[in-house]
Amino acid sequence: MSAAPASRATSRTAYAVAALALLAFLAVPWVGISNNAIRLLLTTFLWVTTSLAWNLLGGVTGQVSFGFAVFYGLGAYTAGLSINGGITPYAAIPAGGAVAAFGSLLIGLPTFRLRGPYFAIATIGVNEAVRIVMSNLDITGGASGVRLLQAGRFSQAEHYYAALGVASLAFLVSWRVMHSPFGLALRAIREDQDAAADVGVHPFRLKLAVHALAACLTGVAGGVFAHYTAYIHPDGVFSFSTSTSILLMPVIGGLGTLSGPVIGAAVYSIVQEEMVVHFPQFHLLLYGALLILIMLFEPGGLAGLWRRLARRLRGGGP
Amino acid sequence: MTELLSVKGLTRHFGGIAAVVNLQFRVKEREIFGIIGPNGAGKTTAFSMIAGSLLPTAGSIRFRGREIAGWPSQRVVHLGICRTHQVPRPFTGMTVYENVEVGMRFGGRRTPPRGEVADEIERILEFTGLSGWGASSAGSLPTGNRKRLELARALATDPVVLLCDEICGGLNPTETADILSLLRRLRDSGITILYIEHDMRAVMRTCDRIMVLNYGQKLAEGTPEEIQDDEGVIEAYLGRRSWMGRAEQLEEPP
Repeated sequence: MSAAPASRATSRTAYAVAALALLAFLAVPWVGISNNAIRLLLTTFLWVTTSLAWNLLGGVTGQVSFGFAVFYGLGAYTAGLSINGGITPYAAIPAGGAVAAFGSLLIGLPTFRLRGPYFAIATIGVNEAVRIVMSNLDITGGASGVRLLQAGRFSQAEHYYAALGVASLAFLVSWRVMHSPFGLALRAIREDQDAAADVGVHPFRLKLAVHALAACLTGVAGGVFAHYTAYIHPDGVFSFSTSTSILLMPVIGGLGTLSGPVIGAAVYSIVQEEMVVHFPQFHLLLYGALLILIMLFEPGGLAGLWRRLARRLRGGGP
Repeated sequence: MTELLSVKGLTRHFGGIAAVVNLQFRVKEREIFGIIGPNGAGKTTAFSMIAGSLLPTAGSIRFRGREIAGWPSQRVVHLGICRTHQVPRPFTGMTVYENVEVGMRFGGRRTPPRGEVADEIERILEFTGLSGWGASSAGSLPTGNRKRLELARALATDPVVLLCDEICGGLNPTETADILSLLRRLRDSGITILYIEHDMRAVMRTCDRIMVLNYGQKLAEGTPEEIQDDEGVIEAYLGRRSWMGRAEQLEEPP
């Protein structure tokens, strides 16, 4: 590529940062951090996973979905019910990802016939429909939810590593996709779907593929969450506000980038923790304000803001 | 020269309006086939149907004997038919290089081996006069280069037939001459070109044969000389009917 030398140097730095971060996170359970801090990190990893997953569809491919709670919930319920059925979490949690991916195909086949805002609106409808169905199905325990029977089998460190593993997987998958011909085609679809088709890209097929990939990652995160919290209910994992949160984080962080969703998820988790404790009614207002500010002044999100500041500090450019 | 593309009875309605009616023509291998006509004559509609961006209401489109009417564009591209757009539609958030790369990786009848993609893209950028622009954002290109990028992206799909929709529209005479010489070189290298254009001089200088459309129907077809002398064509472009039409409109109260 024309810009190869520069990007190679940048990606070497990025590798180093990622490796260091991973080592630091691996060491966390051993350095005597409070259980509460570990729990906060664990939650953050799950949100990092959903953010990166949503970003593949919403950021890279430009298909804004308000329905990712469906995949989070499907993953959570599949894992939860499987674990209750005596299946090991190591199989139950991936099964959650598989069921979510399958669900994404059923949802994608009709909704990807729609474009832009119409697709977004359709996903809101799907989300609500699934939530209501799950609230009324007997095998899912209806509105009262599912209590996981063998949840005690994992120590907190194990739960933590599971979440860290899933987040790392999401990061690796995102990186691979964004640096592959597949990712190139997804970006072309975001820019101009018809022009992309005119040069041979199959928008419908690729949208289904990336939707399934994102749903799978989100479902796995849901599975880890279910196993950790040991109690799930439709108004939690399937709720519209879960979908909105999953969407908000990558938007706040910076769409279409790799660091943006990670930053967005971290900010969201920490702010959420502090705000919910101190201002239970107030925290949504803060997100609203943050979202408006970002849309007004920095469409690139926090990652874009960081890039701009870094450029200015280095003394070059605007 | 063998027949490459044959269109028969091609028709497209938009609601009650017939944009293209019972269109019939054949394109031979290695020719530049011009399509001209007044605004709204159905040129782009016909193009879109051949390229697969628009479903025909009726009719047949045969490419090398194979019926392709109604195929979606991504399939048509893989047979070797690729279009450019009248108003350039670059992937604005991507670099010029990446724009071309999309065409090469997804539209190609064969994708070049791993190590050769970059070289091939550079070659196409150079051919279309975009070398040095590879790393620029496609959204930052001026009009002339956007037109070149349309051409480059389409060429990356390794087309047999190239559909150029007003590729010189909005360009200055020097730029136009450049693009026209590119089209001729492409034809000489074996690519068949269907070429919609408003600029009469450009068409007459470049095309081997020309078809004239008016109100969605074929008015005439022939070499540039034959078209220039055709009574019907002269009338459609300059003649009485359009003048009288305008005069009548003026008399009517608004």
